[in-house]
Amino acid sequence: MGIKLSHIIFSILVIAVITAPLNAAEFTLSKPKKVEIEYSPFINQNFPRQVYWGDTHLHTTYSPDAGMIGNFNLGPADAYRFARGEQIQANNGMQVKLVRPLDFLVVSDHGEYQGLMPSLRGGDPEILKNEVGRRWYNLFKEGSEGQYKVFLEFAEDLNNNKGRVPFDKVARTTWDLMTETADKYNDPGNFTAFIGYEWTSTPKGNNLHRVVVFKDGAEKAGRVVPFTSFDSPDPEVLWKYMADYEARTGGRVIAFPHNANVSGGLMFDTKTLKGKKLTRKYARIRTRFEPLHEMTQMKGDSETHPKLSPNDEFADYETWDKANLTSTIATTDEMLPGSYARSALKRGMALEAKIGVNPFKQGFIGSTDSHTSLATAGENNYFGKASILEPGPERWKHVLIKSQTDDKLTTYGSETTAAGLAAVWATENTRESLFEAMQRREVYATTGPRMTVRVFAGWDFNEQDVQRADFAAHGYANGVPMGGDLKKAKTGQAPSLLIRTLRDPDGANLDRIQVIKGWLDKNGRTHERIYDVACAGNRTIKNRRCDKPVGNTVNVAQASYTNTIGAPLLFAHWKDPDFERKQQAFYYVRVLEIPTPRWPAYDAKIFGVKMPKDTVMQHQERAYTSAIWYTP
Amino acid sequence: MVIKQSLFVSVLVLGFTTTVFSEGGGLVTDDPESLSAAARTQPYSPYAERNFPDRPLWGDTHLHTAVSFDAGSFGARLLPPDAYRFAKGEEVISSTGQPVRLSRPLDFLVVADHSDNMGFFPKLQEGAPYVMANKKGRRWNGMINKGGQEAVQAAAEIIGDFSQGKFPEELMSLPGMGVYRSTWDETINAAEEANDPGTFTAFIGYEWTAMVKGNNLHRVVVYRDGGDRARLMEPYTTVKPLGSPDPQDLWKWMAEYEKKTAGQILAIAHNGNLSNGIMFPEIKAFGKKIGKKYVQTRARWEPLYEVTQIKGDGEAHPFLSPNDEFADYGTWDQGNLDLSAEKKNEMLRFEYARSALKTGLQLENKLGTNPYQFGLIGSTDSHTALATAEEDNYFGKHAGTEPNKDRYKHPMAKMGDKEYKGYSPLASGWAAVWAEENTRASIFDAMQRKETYATTGSRMIVRFFGGWEFDGKDANNRTPAKVGYAKGVPMGGNLSASPKGKTAPTFLVGALKDPIGGNLDRIQIIKGWVDAKGKMHEKVYDVVWSGDRKPDAKGKLPPVGNTVDIADATWTNTIGATELITVWKDPDFNAKENAFYYARVIEIPTPRWTAYDAKYYKVDMPKEVPMTTTERAYTSPIWYTP
Repeated sequence: MGIKLSHIIFSILVIAVITAPLNAAEFTLSKPKKVEIEYSPFINQNFPRQVYWGDTHLHTTYSPDAGMIGNFNLGPADAYRFARGEQIQANNGMQVKLVRPLDFLVVSDHGEYQGLMPSLRGGDPEILKNEVGRRWYNLFKEGSEGQYKVFLEFAEDLNNNKGRVPFDKVARTTWDLMTETADKYNDPGNFTAFIGYEWTSTPKGNNLHRVVVFKDGAEKAGRVVPFTSFDSPDPEVLWKYMADYEARTGGRVIAFPHNANVSGGLMFDTKTLKGKKLTRKYARIRTRFEPLHEMTQMKGDSETHPKLSPNDEFADYETWDKANLTSTIATTDEMLPGSYARSALKRGMALEAKIGVNPFKQGFIGSTDSHTSLATAGENNYFGKASILEPGPERWKHVLIKSQTDDKLTTYGSETTAAGLAAVWATENTRESLFEAMQRREVYATTGPRMTVRVFAGWDFNEQDVQRADFAAHGYANGVPMGGDLKKAKTGQAPSLLIRTLRDPDGANLDRIQVIKGWLDKNGRTHERIYDVACAGNRTIKNRRCDKPVGNTVNVAQASYTNTIGAPLLFAHWKDPDFERKQQAFYYVRVLEIPTPRWPAYDAKIFGVKMPKDTVMQHQERAYTSAIWYTP
Repeated sequence: MVIKQSLFVSVLVLGFTTTVFSEGGGLVTDDPESLSAAARTQPYSPYAERNFPDRPLWGDTHLHTAVSFDAGSFGARLLPPDAYRFAKGEEVISSTGQPVRLSRPLDFLVVADHSDNMGFFPKLQEGAPYVMANKKGRRWNGMINKGGQEAVQAAAEIIGDFSQGKFPEELMSLPGMGVYRSTWDETINAAEEANDPGTFTAFIGYEWTAMVKGNNLHRVVVYRDGGDRARLMEPYTTVKPLGSPDPQDLWKWMAEYEKKTAGQILAIAHNGNLSNGIMFPEIKAFGKKIGKKYVQTRARWEPLYEVTQIKGDGEAHPFLSPNDEFADYGTWDQGNLDLSAEKKNEMLRFEYARSALKTGLQLENKLGTNPYQFGLIGSTDSHTALATAEEDNYFGKHAGTEPNKDRYKHPMAKMGDKEYKGYSPLASGWAAVWAEENTRASIFDAMQRKETYATTGSRMIVRFFGGWEFDGKDANNRTPAKVGYAKGVPMGGNLSASPKGKTAPTFLVGALKDPIGGNLDRIQIIKGWVDAKGKMHEKVYDVVWSGDRKPDAKGKLPPVGNTVDIADATWTNTIGATELITVWKDPDFNAKENAFYYARVIEIPTPRWTAYDAKYYKVDMPKEVPMTTTERAYTSPIWYTP
């Protein structure tokens, strides 16, 4: 084929002289017109297609307790960077990185004296104006012993619900920094950085803490400062602040109670903090602002207690039942029903029958509550509850909370749990989408592993539906997901659940799926019952249980296990065989992993240390889904 | 439409496609003496200072938009920015007006429009004066703007003229012309705009579309670089004198590019199956004897081969591999690309990846370099600007074969009594790349070291390591990647010389199903080698499989079964395995013979795109239309050289 010389010359010219586009208009075509054909199965999917993983409860150097006890260096920006998957240096000098990035993070530093450590470290004139502030500044300079003294005074102030140092100006500066940093790291579609803080109400050492989470950016959340327990230790006043925030800014805010296990029975008490009966109004406001409960974290698991659930052989998991948060008042049996998630769900139903609204209609999430700025919930990568418990040969025996009243109530490093994570079924990774999923309780908790769990409840599901290629679309079209409601069964109907679970791809196989049912009988008494609905391997279900344990491959000395037992994938269709359509009920799903080494086993191996015989070295990690409620 | 609901794919397990086999693990030593020393050097956090890729990134390295003259002729109306948006997971309206979306976003995309005639089509459609002044131009303009079958006919004429060298010179868009320059600039701009390091990689690239009498020698050229460098030269074409259909001239151009810009590029050949015996030559190429220079240059520029795509699967051919029951997969063997010449059996050896890998060993023995030491990837080669490789969401080879009730019966190409049937295209394939991060540099470097694998559209995760010291326990290790990299080399690598006392290489191979796909039937390792007499051999070993099947007396494993309900276009994962992993030792190893090993992962049978069409459009397809498929993955080989 011949070619004109002029072309070649032109071409050389163009190559030599780098030109900008000569004519951008050449790059256009008439666009196709949309036709009403829906061949592609993935169009218009408006339900959550992915579960997003995060930690809603993490402290940094801005929390006075973290900052005074070893976390000198890592602020919110470091926490976000770490959560996004970057390698960073922990306070103990070790390099640390997550196995996989998280999708979202709430930096939730204590609202009380928020930013104290940096302000003492930097000698903030606002602090030095005050006599106590100057004393704290001098103590801080003394080093760790002085700093611990400041921490004790902070704890005392929490106990008394009263701050001794005027802090408004520092609080404002700190909150501005925190909200701006969250906005900076918030990357819609990739990583969500929520604005939040912890309201640290601790009346008489009983834990009533809430993590407060904003849907909004700094533009709205920055128009307030955190409401603290120094303002009021009463959650009803916190909810007023939240309602006021929403009214003033048009924003949205929710709160997550946590560590009901160290609340001395107050978290889900049948009366208010002031000792009054719960009312319909109280219940409405509470469920409005508190859709979720952080029921597993480093300070123990709050699903249920062996005394509350004597027939539940898996109930005694990471149990913290010596005392309240400050280890001052020993736990009594009467406190237990107000201190655990399952009994709270039961109480909620009973209260609904009396006052018309369920005050404890809460979905489940896990989070770490770590004070290291490091959201680590994996057993083999556990960087501890606080910086003094970052990896080291002796951390297992360090004191975490020293009892001032009784040595037996003191808690130690080895009792802390490498937990947990919040799993959220949202349509996209944005503040809006994740927040709305939390509001509708389409979430679940895990004790650290990232198993995928999906549950739908409906009236007409059958055995085949669990195998459907369009499982999710079918589930949403014909039922409700976790966190949802079923109402008014017709005669002869019973709820059926479709459940699919997949193990953490980097983690252990699954042992079983269980459905946990609670109900209110016609005499107003609550009950619970556990149904195993899928068992890995060649096991059958007898008397509502897998007929044998799954086995155990853990080698404690090597801190290893194998996936030669259990199943990577389990699914179940289950129809309630004991359904009474006139009785209120709830159903949630618990998924158990096969036994794996607990974090002390990794420590023992890596540091070559021997731990006492009673140290728990292995366990079965788990996921807890939000419940689905039935109301006649 | 109601049917839509039942076509939805389950999304229960989307979270699953993350980092299988990625754990760094704790310390690997058992020796208590060394523990404290190891603790000092190895971080407590098993994931800190990890220096290997922990997840495969998924992409399509070969996608055409309306910028390609044939794509546009066939009716494509989407441009590179649309292609990137779609690959990122957005819903778009296809050229035929249909809303379409991927089940999951891709991690990267190469828009690879034909360098020949780049930018011609928009001019034709708009009826630019110089186009209308030409007799053929005016005719094609009329046909294209009428649409429908007339437009398809125009496309056939344009492509036919081009592949036979009869395209009007006056209409040609050539490097150096304004229309060409601006098209290339806009192509680059689209990639620059879409590239989002860490989240999505948009590669700059193009297809060099060499054909010799209808025999396919195409290459996709991929840039590691950004627009600043890529803009410095316009793409290489195949029409003399500016271009050439000889790959050796392309390699010269590539060398020139790298010299001039200090950039980096590579080329990926595809569709050897339509080359009529010239894709992987052994003796002569373009009339000249193959010598050291040819083999070295080819090995330098072509680290990968696109082994599966819409126009057929190029791993193996049943004639070449009569003992391989899975060899006859997506076979396109009637002739060359435009069916102007029919296929003869003696051509096949020079067309398929497996035989080329063997030829490579042969040439290495002769000339000192293996020109066919390539890794494997799949891609779509779709001309719709839509990278769709999944059976339930297949948007065709070009706009004329976007979903419609008759597409299965419209021939893709026809010449005399030979034709590529409308139902014969594959909804295939993907490129999986084990890269440390989602950036141009990291993915390109992984391609260079061949740490890649191909799939026919499923996103199963596959790890493959070769070494001398793997043992059975490594398959139960909870940190297989850590063990894999510590004790061996990953896919695409070369085995070291055998250490003393080691009699045969060992392989750690594992696969995890696509979370929304079919379960796994089996993993096979395919070995090729050249014996002392210079004879080439191959053998397929089943190394791990689902269920409790036992091989028969002849060593043949019974089939996994079949749950496909064709009428309903569904299947169940009640057979097969979610994951498979094992350690395999070569039982037939001879340390004096060079060899390669690659893994093939086979899924259980699932519905083919034709079954989804039949159900959606309620059409009865003839018996010869295949309605099920067994998707598979092919890893890059690991080579052994004495």
